[in-house]
Order: sequence, then C-alpha cells, then structure tokens
Amino acid sequence: MTAGWTPIALSRDVPAGITRAVIVEGRELVIWRGDGPAHVWEDRCPHRGMRLSLGFVRDNSLNCLYHGWQYGASSSCVRIPAHPDLTVAPTIKANAYESAEAGGLVWVRLGGTEPLPAPSEPVTPVLSFAMEVDSLDRDSLMLPFQRAELHLHWHRVGPARIMVHAVMSGGADIAGAAAFLRALRDDMEQEVAA
Amino acid sequence: MTLTPDQAALDQWYVLGALRDFPSGKTRSTRLLGGDIAVTRRDDGIEVVGEGRALPVRTNYDHLWTTFGTPARDLFSLPEAAEPDRRWIHCGGVHVRASGLRLIENFLDLAHFPYVHTDILGSEEKPEVAKYEVEQRRDVDELWATKCEFFQPKAAAASDEGQISQYMYRVVSPFNVMLYKTPPTAPNRWDVIALFVHPLDEIESVAHPFMLVIDDTSSDAEIIQFQQMIFLQDKIVLENQRPLLLPLQPGRETPTRADLSSVLYRRWLKEKALTFGTEPRTDLA
Repeated sequence: MTAGWTPIALSRDVPAGITRAVIVEGRELVIWRGDGPAHVWEDRCPHRGMRLSLGFVRDNSLNCLYHGWQYGASSSCVRIPAHPDLTVAPTIKANAYESAEAGGLVWVRLGGTEPLPAPSEPVTPVLSFAMEVDSLDRDSLMLPFQRAELHLHWHRVGPARIMVHAVMSGGADIAGAAAFLRALRDDMEQEVAA
Repeated sequence: MTLTPDQAALDQWYVLGALRDFPSGKTRSTRLLGGDIAVTRRDDGIEVVGEGRALPVRTNYDHLWTTFGTPARDLFSLPEAAEPDRRWIHCGGVHVRASGLRLIENFLDLAHFPYVHTDILGSEEKPEVAKYEVEQRRDVDELWATKCEFFQPKAAAASDEGQISQYMYRVVSPFNVMLYKTPPTAPNRWDVIALFVHPLDEIESVAHPFMLVIDDTSSDAEIIQFQQMIFLQDKIVLENQRPLLLPLQPGRETPTRADLSSVLYRRWLKEKALTFGTEPRTDLA
C-alpha cells in the first residue's frame, strides 16, 4: 500500500471550501477543494512550515493561516500579502502530489506508474473510520450488505492504525451500513487485541 | 531527554519563571535544556540545583534566572525596569509544544498580525510590511530591528481606535527578546513587552510574557486578558509549524523582505554555533 495510487478520503467529506488533514504512512497531507477537483498537497507552507490544513479556502485558492500566502490550484504561490506589489517568483510553490477522484474517493499517487484503478459503477459514500490494526489482507474488500455491496478501501496512517473508506453500490440503508461497519471494526480490533 | 551537550546553549541565562511562582519553603522541580532542575525557596534566598549541582542564580526583573554553563556576559540590562511610573505585569506562563527558537522568531514577526491576530494587531485590509532596519550590535551582542510600522485596529488593551504602531525589537539572547511599542495613551514613550522563553527541551517550551507598560486606564486583568488572547493565538500557529524545530539549513523555508529580522536571527544563531532547538542539518560535512 505504500506505492501507487492510495485512497485517502471520501470525496463527499471534502466539499468545496474545505481543507482536511490526513496522515498517510506518517506523511502529513492536506486535501482541499475550491471550485473543481480536490487537491492533495504536503501539509506545509514553504514559507515558515505552517500546516496548510489550518488555512482557508478562498477564490479557488488555499491561503496559509500564518501569513496569508495564497496558493492557486496549480500550487504556485500567487500572493504574499506582506508585499502586495511583489510579483511572486514561480519557484515558490506548495508541494503538490498527483491526485484524482474516482469511485467516490480521493486518491493520491505516492509512487509507481500504474494507472488509476478503474472506477466501478456509481457508488454511494458511506463513511471513513479509523481502525487500530496494522493493515487489511487486501487492497480493497467487498462485503454483501442487505441487497447492496460495501466496498472497503483503506490507507495506512502509521503503525497499528489505518483509515477505512467505505462506499456502497446498490440501494441500502446508509445508517444501517454505517452501524454494520462499526460493529465489524470492533470485532476486528478485538481479534487483533486478543 | 537528557541535558543537551550543546555548549552554546548551555552558556546562556534562562528564565525558570516569575519569582512569585516559587513559594517560600517549597521545592519545585522542572526541566531546562532537557536536564532536571530543582528550585528551593527559603526565607534567606533561593537555590537552584541542576543535574545534582548548585547553579548560578539571578533574581532580576521579578524573575528567576539560571545557567548550566558560563555565559560570556551577565544577565542583560533592562533600563526601563528603573523607571518608576511603569507597571510591571506578569501575564503567566504559556506552555507551547515547539522549539523556543520558533517562539522568539514568531515574536519578531510583523507579517502574521493580520492573519493570526485578525482585527486586533492587524487587518487583512492592510497587510503590508514596510521596510524596516535590522542590525547586529556587536558591542553588546544584541540584535535590533528598528523603524517597524504596522497598522493595528486594536494595538493594546487601552486602544479604542486603530493606529499605526511604531515598533522596535531587541533580541538580547537566543531565548530572550523584547519589543518596544508606542502606547495608545503616551505617544512619546515606549511600552516594553518582553518574552522570556524557558526551554524545557528541544520541542517543549514555556513562554513568559512580561510587560513594563505606561497605561493608566486599563486594569491589570484587562491587560493580562489581552496578552493571553494574543499568545493563545500564537500558540495555535507555533504548534502547527513543521518541523517543530527551527530549520537553519538554506532552502528549507522561504524568507522574504518582511522576514529580515528572522534572517538576521538565524544567521546570529549559526554564528554562535547554537544547535539546541534547531533542525539537524544535512548540508554540512
């Protein structure tokens, strides 16, 4: 799970105007959305190292909380408020990762060259949840639930901790699916602890 | 964590707290530079024991100071402490999970006012940092930034309207800094706001803001409340900088003209070969 495309959030959980901090294999990343697709960057402003996930989205750009440095969708810094008349050097940019959205998920490429996993049929987002285990057996799992299928994707946060991102195909009750997944998580965590 | 071997850091004076934090007849333990400290106050004096031996003690400016090493100078002078019409105000220690050097650098920074202290110390409408001057005063081994100006909607507890504040900054040692600022009630004097940083270890610090102010309108409680609000806003930033240690390696961060005082401060730390609280460098042989 360390290389290639990694699912890191449900697209639904990153609505326009929002930042989300995520940790992937110990790396601190920020996901944010302006007018279009979600962006995935290193969670660090190159000016003074401030985490950009504490910043604010405005005018389809991400603005650092510390000094208001403004980064456009291309990740280039477009404005340094302390010097309003300055044309910002093109070398000043946030560290952007290649990212994509498919199958109800936000994906980031942490390495490798393989293409994005082909999206399945339309899905409904269910929930993301943390689990105190080191990994799952496979990159994704499919579980029948009522008359639907639950698809479980996940990323590793660090030792003994993963985040699971669940989507559903077919019609089923979302609250019921969420309760089912929470019970499943409790069972699996107890197995690890035993 | 054990006591740092960094001689440049050991050979400095450090605050351990306000004197009133050490009640008579009691022993309090703390840490300094990663080492263990025990402070005992008796009726006839105050004893600081660090790593099993008695350390030098100073009690200037209502604070307790010590050192593990041999500082090149005695504790810095603070002439304003002798002016009888100033009020001495302790704002209380603030724990911050970050390098003490990051705290000092943030204290020297004007450009964050509109974003971190929005509509108090700065306004998003007027974020520009005008050119200011910096100098290293080698005779006293201090850094100064002068001719700093910034528009402030509410510059101090006693402000009832916006003003263009004049600032001067004075760095007297790697972990002690003060600023001079025009008070709203006495435009021909300077308020002094000091920040004494007690580094427990490389990434955990206690900031002691201390004020010597000309303000006959605000109560102590109002002034303390104002400063605590400011420092809590700073704490959010400081605990979310990456790394928590101060990087000295060129290229790790991106200074601009507004960061002139930070550039000088980092150069001064390098000149002292101070490494405690700094990010390990990979560009040196």
